Amino acid sequence: MAHEHMNPVIDQILANIEKVMIGKRNVAELSLVALLAGGHVLLEDVPGVGKTMMVRALAKSVNAKFRRIQFTPDLLPSDVTGVSIYNPKEMEFQFRPGPLMGNIILADEINRTSPKTQSALLEGMEEASVTIDGVTHKLSKPFFVMATQNPIEYEGTYPLPEAQLDRFLLKMKMGYPDIQEEIEVLNRAQKTPPIEDLQPVIDLDGLIGLQQEVKEVFVDDTIKRYIVDIVNGTRGHGSVYLGASPRGSIALMKAAQAYAYVNNRDYVLPDDVQYLAPYVLSHRIILKSEAKFEGISAEEVVNRVVARVPVPIRRLVK
Amino acid sequence: MIKRDFPTFLLYVFGFLLLWEWLRPVEQLTDTDNIETFIIFLIVAFAGSYLRLKWIWQLLINAFFILFSVNRLYYEGGFFQPDWLNAFLSDMTENLGLIFARNWNDLTDEFRTILFFVLLWLMVYLLHYWLLRQQRIFIFFFMTLVYITVLDTFTEYNATVAIVRTVGAGFAVMGMLTYFRISMREHGSQSFSMKKWMVPLVGMIAFSVLLGMAAPKAAPIWPDPVPYLTAAKGQDGSDGPGGISRIGYGSNDERLGGPFIGDNTTVFTIESNGKHYWKVETKDIYTGKGWVASGSTPIDFTKADLVPVFSIPSSVETRDETARITSVKESSLIVYPAGIQRFIEVNVPERYPIRIDTTTEKIKNLKTNGYSVDFKVPRYKAIDLRKPTGFDPTVMNQEFYERYTKIPENLPARIKQLTEEITAGKTNWFDKAKAVESYFGNIEYTYDQKNVALPGEEDDYVDQFLFDTKVGYCDNFSTSMAVMLRTIGIPTRWVKGFTGGEFTEYTQGDESKEIYQITNNNAHSWVEAFIPGQGWVPFEPTKGYSNGLSIDYTSGETTSRTQTPAPAPAPKPQKEEIDEAPAKAKDSSYDFTAIWSAIEKFFNNNWLSLVVWFLVIAAVVWVLYRIRGKWVPYIFMFRYRFKKQDDTIGTAYLILLKQLDRYGLKRRENQTLSSYARYIDSFFSTREMTRLTNSYEQYLYHQTLPKGSWDDNRELWENLIKKTIA
Repeated sequence: MAHEHMNPVIDQILANIEKVMIGKRNVAELSLVALLAGGHVLLEDVPGVGKTMMVRALAKSVNAKFRRIQFTPDLLPSDVTGVSIYNPKEMEFQFRPGPLMGNIILADEINRTSPKTQSALLEGMEEASVTIDGVTHKLSKPFFVMATQNPIEYEGTYPLPEAQLDRFLLKMKMGYPDIQEEIEVLNRAQKTPPIEDLQPVIDLDGLIGLQQEVKEVFVDDTIKRYIVDIVNGTRGHGSVYLGASPRGSIALMKAAQAYAYVNNRDYVLPDDVQYLAPYVLSHRIILKSEAKFEGISAEEVVNRVVARVPVPIRRLVK
Repeated sequence: MIKRDFPTFLLYVFGFLLLWEWLRPVEQLTDTDNIETFIIFLIVAFAGSYLRLKWIWQLLINAFFILFSVNRLYYEGGFFQPDWLNAFLSDMTENLGLIFARNWNDLTDEFRTILFFVLLWLMVYLLHYWLLRQQRIFIFFFMTLVYITVLDTFTEYNATVAIVRTVGAGFAVMGMLTYFRISMREHGSQSFSMKKWMVPLVGMIAFSVLLGMAAPKAAPIWPDPVPYLTAAKGQDGSDGPGGISRIGYGSNDERLGGPFIGDNTTVFTIESNGKHYWKVETKDIYTGKGWVASGSTPIDFTKADLVPVFSIPSSVETRDETARITSVKESSLIVYPAGIQRFIEVNVPERYPIRIDTTTEKIKNLKTNGYSVDFKVPRYKAIDLRKPTGFDPTVMNQEFYERYTKIPENLPARIKQLTEEITAGKTNWFDKAKAVESYFGNIEYTYDQKNVALPGEEDDYVDQFLFDTKVGYCDNFSTSMAVMLRTIGIPTRWVKGFTGGEFTEYTQGDESKEIYQITNNNAHSWVEAFIPGQGWVPFEPTKGYSNGLSIDYTSGETTSRTQTPAPAPAPKPQKEEIDEAPAKAKDSSYDFTAIWSAIEKFFNNNWLSLVVWFLVIAAVVWVLYRIRGKWVPYIFMFRYRFKKQDDTIGTAYLILLKQLDRYGLKRRENQTLSSYARYIDSFFSTREMTRLTNSYEQYLYHQTLPKGSWDDNRELWENLIKKTIA
């Protein structure tokens, strides 16, 4: 796959990330997919597994402004979006942009802050703009949020409202590195962090161009049908209280387009859809309490649905 | 897998019963004798299979049985006298030669018997396979039913009981097999016992069989499908209730009447001196609706012998003639002139037993393209014909007389009254017969083929014609005359055959003879009356026909051709008919066509071979189906070699998927093509499937393909297909 990519930038970005991240190629790849599809990522993980490093490498590779917000219970919405301050010299209010005004944002532990502050972030993600004191401020483009949340069983968290979860294109887990990888992490920790040496491989305009190309990746009607069948399958499933919405179908298609692009293809395969379905759909369905008690996870349900939908292997009869 | 226990034994018994049903009609419908030998063979073969003897023992036992039976059936000496083996082996070699020469007809009975044994042996194996391995028998059961019903419909085989037996055995065996299949699927867990299954099964079968037997049966939609089928094949359509028959020779006369259409197909050409009527058979019992034969008394003779039909007494003056009959196609319909002496120049061996049924005087087992006959042409003297005036037990056998004067008990009395009126004043049998014969020349009676009634349930065929319709063709005229004479005690019989046909040309050579062409339109029926001392004398009551009989009315000075002097002067329309008669369609209707009768004859004669062929073809088709994975791909490979378009991959790839599936490499429904391709490639250790799948994915999910990609793809595709055949 690495050979003769129609766009070598993709390989270079992934290579950059690999320089600072050991293993976890799929996480890097999926993050890139979300970035290219113009979506956001929710990482559900414990601290200290290298999220920041990865996002910074990503930001550096595309020469983007990187901001980080550490969410705490006392964080206010204005701390995120920015605030207008009265300047006595100029005799007027001046807007001081908050960290949300960057290109690539790491929103750490968003479930530690109050729902009010969460909404400020989520509104910005959805609308690509924020309104402060009656003035609408456009966010910079491209705009990519990677939010992390601690597993919700932890004390002192405000779970994200279900309706807001589907603002994220993908939800994934990073997990701990395996033993070999962790030894390699220690080795690298003895040297200077290589993050400083990373060179950008593309600028922001170039990235917008890539996003445009991703939109043109071909999706055949058979694939659209396949996507809809899978999403529809979550709605009727016995363990599911509320299935994925049509927004889920759109997200799955967009993600599949970006994934096909990352994998050097200008058309989508059922394989792309199958691979992405758990990442795209699992945070968009609400399980019944019985299923939760039985310990069935949403990923498992999505995988079961995918296993039940036949892959299209012939052209649609028109 | 399956134990040799009691249920298995039952399966074998039912399998045997089903197979037996195939043998039963063979005995009745063909010349196969000693059918019990074959049945015992079946039992032996089934027993070997049931007891799971080693194959070598089965082979030896079965082969020994076959040899022993052949020896018993075809050789005089005992089995242990070695000399018969030489004869047997040379016979086998000879027959093998005949097979390669495709000379099927000359195969000896002995060889056919062996073939039949082998066929049965195969069937036993197949049944074993179906019952114990496949555990499915439906096709065989269904074919058995079809076989029996077809035979019941088209032959004299009566399957009333056979169908009940077959249904019973068939359902029992299918029910048991279903049980085995289910318990197999449940991995032998005896969740329900055999008994619990069998009791309701037996009950249901018994109930449905009893219900089927007791329930009232709807009348058939077609009174008899055979004439219906024939009519459906007719050229000018076949409408109207009762159907329109096509003219030609048919052997069933149980129900006469109804219209028919002409058929100008030539059946025979005949070289002879003068025109003669050609007989095929006679019938002696009038039923009120038609004619049947009182029985069957087959007698064999060789071509050196006189033909054992009632000959012309020596008191009648005769002259000798020969005639050559040539059929258009090889046919078993044998015509001969009255007064036949011998068959000569017939293509059968010297000692070949020609069989004739002396009741109907029909030649049964001759199948030939042509033959010659020696025969005598009588010249009756009116003075002798007029001698008999009544029944005289001293010159005529009482039983014989009763047989030929028998009339149905419910024959309407007015027929006899009419006959008595017509014959009033005549004293002797001959004059009475002549009077009745000429009575039909009366203007009231019209010859017609179209507007002819079919007698209803209550009608008498003769009565309806004589008094009600008065329109008809030869069957109406001849039957009426025969029945009328019988009412006044003159013995008659009804004769079927062909008229003299149409003169075409003279033969080449010194002894020039005339050549007559006989078509289906010339099929005809007439009457013979028995006159003591003179034999069976033919009469021709049908309007517009003449049988060319010569009768010396004076002391021998005048020879007149009958018919013409007797009837009243014929008015014009009849004259026209006479002119038209030889040329155009007319004549008798025997209810179905010659084509059908040919088919029927073919069916009757080639019975066994048809069954054998059918079974062989069925077996071949079945085997081909089983191994389709081996040969179907070659057809596809050949076909796709000539395709050029790139999107051929669309169909080709799906064929490959199917072939791989048959090969045993199944794709799960939710498995994507590329992951399946990786699986296939790992199985065959290639990269070909992945490459081909990439192309197909482009075709399917991208709707585009690089130009000229099919050349490469075809190569990949063929390689993969070949891997599945190897």
